[in-house]
Amino acid sequence: MGTFLKKDMLVLVRDKTELTILLAMPFILMVILGFALRGLLGGDTEALHMPVAVVQLDDEQRGTEQFVDELDSIGLPPEVMAELEMTAAELRPYSLLENILTSDNMSDMLEPVLLDASEAEQALKNGEVAAVLTVPENFTYHALQKMLLDIGSGSELHISVSEYGSLSASLFHEIIDRFVHTLNFETAVSKASGDMATTSAEQEEMAAAADIGGIETVSAREPVSSFQYYTIAMAVMFVLYVATAIGQKAYVERQQHVFSRILLSDRHPLAYLGGKFVSATVIAFCQIVILFVLSSLIFRSFASETVAFWFGMAVISFVLSICVGGVAALLTSLTIRFNNNAVTIVFSAGIVSLLAFVGGSFMPVSEMAEFLGVIGRWTPNGAALSAYIQWMQGADAKLLLEPMTRIAVIAVVLLSASVFIFPRRRSI
Amino acid sequence: MLETEALRKVFNGKAAVDGINLYMEKGESVGLLGPNGAGKSTTISMISSLVRPTSGDVMLHGKSTVKDPSQIRRVLGVVPQEIALYQELTAYENLIFFGRIYGLRGKVLEKKIAEVLELVGLADRQKEVVKTYSGGMQRRINMAAAMLHEPEILIMDEPTVGIDPQSRSHILETVRRLNQEKGLTVLYTSHYMEEVERLCDRVYIMDHGRIIASGAKDELKRILSGEETIWIDLDRPYPKLLSSLQMNEEIIQATETEKGVKLIVPKGARILASVFQEAEHHQVQIVNVNVQTPTLEDVFLHLTGRKLRD
Repeated sequence: MGTFLKKDMLVLVRDKTELTILLAMPFILMVILGFALRGLLGGDTEALHMPVAVVQLDDEQRGTEQFVDELDSIGLPPEVMAELEMTAAELRPYSLLENILTSDNMSDMLEPVLLDASEAEQALKNGEVAAVLTVPENFTYHALQKMLLDIGSGSELHISVSEYGSLSASLFHEIIDRFVHTLNFETAVSKASGDMATTSAEQEEMAAAADIGGIETVSAREPVSSFQYYTIAMAVMFVLYVATAIGQKAYVERQQHVFSRILLSDRHPLAYLGGKFVSATVIAFCQIVILFVLSSLIFRSFASETVAFWFGMAVISFVLSICVGGVAALLTSLTIRFNNNAVTIVFSAGIVSLLAFVGGSFMPVSEMAEFLGVIGRWTPNGAALSAYIQWMQGADAKLLLEPMTRIAVIAVVLLSASVFIFPRRRSI
Repeated sequence: MLETEALRKVFNGKAAVDGINLYMEKGESVGLLGPNGAGKSTTISMISSLVRPTSGDVMLHGKSTVKDPSQIRRVLGVVPQEIALYQELTAYENLIFFGRIYGLRGKVLEKKIAEVLELVGLADRQKEVVKTYSGGMQRRINMAAAMLHEPEILIMDEPTVGIDPQSRSHILETVRRLNQEKGLTVLYTSHYMEEVERLCDRVYIMDHGRIIASGAKDELKRILSGEETIWIDLDRPYPKLLSSLQMNEEIIQATETEKGVKLIVPKGARILASVFQEAEHHQVQIVNVNVQTPTLEDVFLHLTGRKLRD
């Protein structure tokens, strides 16, 4: 295997086009995407610092009092009324929103300024603020009515933006959406805990829902910067091109009768396939390491990480590299068996991009339709990306078992298929 | 030592090789002659165990190599028609790789590499990348790679196609030395008649997947022993003269050449007077006349009605 590996490494190193695809391209894309989408991910928000105007037309105190006053006319039992009064006093929707907008987490990104409606409109026109959030009159009253009594249609927050569809506008919209989402969950939990008729099973269910809400809105994990994300995303995408490079080289070997010369040496044909598998695995691992090192040295993406961190990254990279070896072996088998490199060309020209898309190399899987996310998790690059991100966010090693198992399963399937397809006869 | 028994290979219903029987004795140099598409490469691929015959067998020392390809692979060196080398690697790196896959290691490998590089005359260029070599140099390294493991039988498939005269001469001389001085058994295929005439003791002539004639060079030439070849150079091409010569009943065959016409006539026939008469009649000037004894090319032409390079 060492003979094949050394030869494949030498051939690859001398092929400048292939080297450009394997090393320069992912690095360039990493730089472009890392800078362009800086701020979209949690780690580096200074690039998206934006002032927003808040037009507060609601009177929270009055709204809460009005809600409590009207409870008398509904005719609820006294103990329920007391519970609802207490919940209404605790909920305070506007205060919750204010707390979010001025929280430490948001301070790097948002700079809320209280203005009246005309001032806000002027500021938006002048470009002094990126968006205007209007809290309408009776927001608290309508919100409490909807949330606690399910009466009326609730209240809406209004957002005006200077550039519709811009990154800042989208982000602000997302923050407010998440606030509304959180509010709904908290309401559900409040209602559940306040409902005397709720069974313990239902309470467990609600508690589970609250857990889900918690994860969605509050991340206890370390944020991932755009450079970290796209270093990983490009690495897991471009590592697939190692497989196509190896497949293409196998085709050239077949065409130029080098493969025949290898067969004439009386090596078992599977030794050749094994050589391709090992070469692809090692080259893929080297490629990932080079990209990580470059990203760390130039962008300090993984600077000051611990030995344990790098060990985890190395393990994930190794498992992914084995899977890439499996892809390379399959492409080699198909190429040699059918003396045709069409599959390799199709894989290189289309399938890699498709895998990269559903695997989250272009945008996080959480931003895509759910079914794409499910498919993405079963791609080697998608599963590896998920494992890397979890590991970078400090997840427990046990949590990595699932994506790693998926990659290992894919690798075994690919390898088995390649051994099955590869011509085992000692002739061609 | 090596023989084929009714070797046959069918591709897509068409027989590329159709019942070939040939043999080689130890230390012999055998030529396999035939035009492009005659089935020479397929025959070689079957003999070297790369292609499985549709039927028939290849026997080495009386044992089937179809059933056990390993036995022939151990003693066989193949120089393919293609440059079966890694173009991005140097000659030395290529030889290291091919030597290693043949199980050679360390000093033994280094010694063998030095020997084969010396043999093909490229020891001083061994550190250069193969793709920077001329076609002739690439073919010489192609041959060196086949010699690393000291084969007993060397099969060469058109090893001089498209190369410069110097490299061609070097390859032919190397093969001759290997055969005569080291007793290497050689199967040499070519459509260059002069190469086969120069190198080989015995010749098989193939066409359309079959052996159409075989024997020692002189035996084959005796097929045409009752005939002579007359080369006539003209001052300009003149098709009407060729037509009238073809009508001449005393002339066995009249064909056009680059410089004029070529005639195959019965030995001793007094044909030249009538040829000059015809030339004068058509007002064509004869600038040269050359009478030759038959070559293998003439034998092939006689047997197939076609030139080798058609």
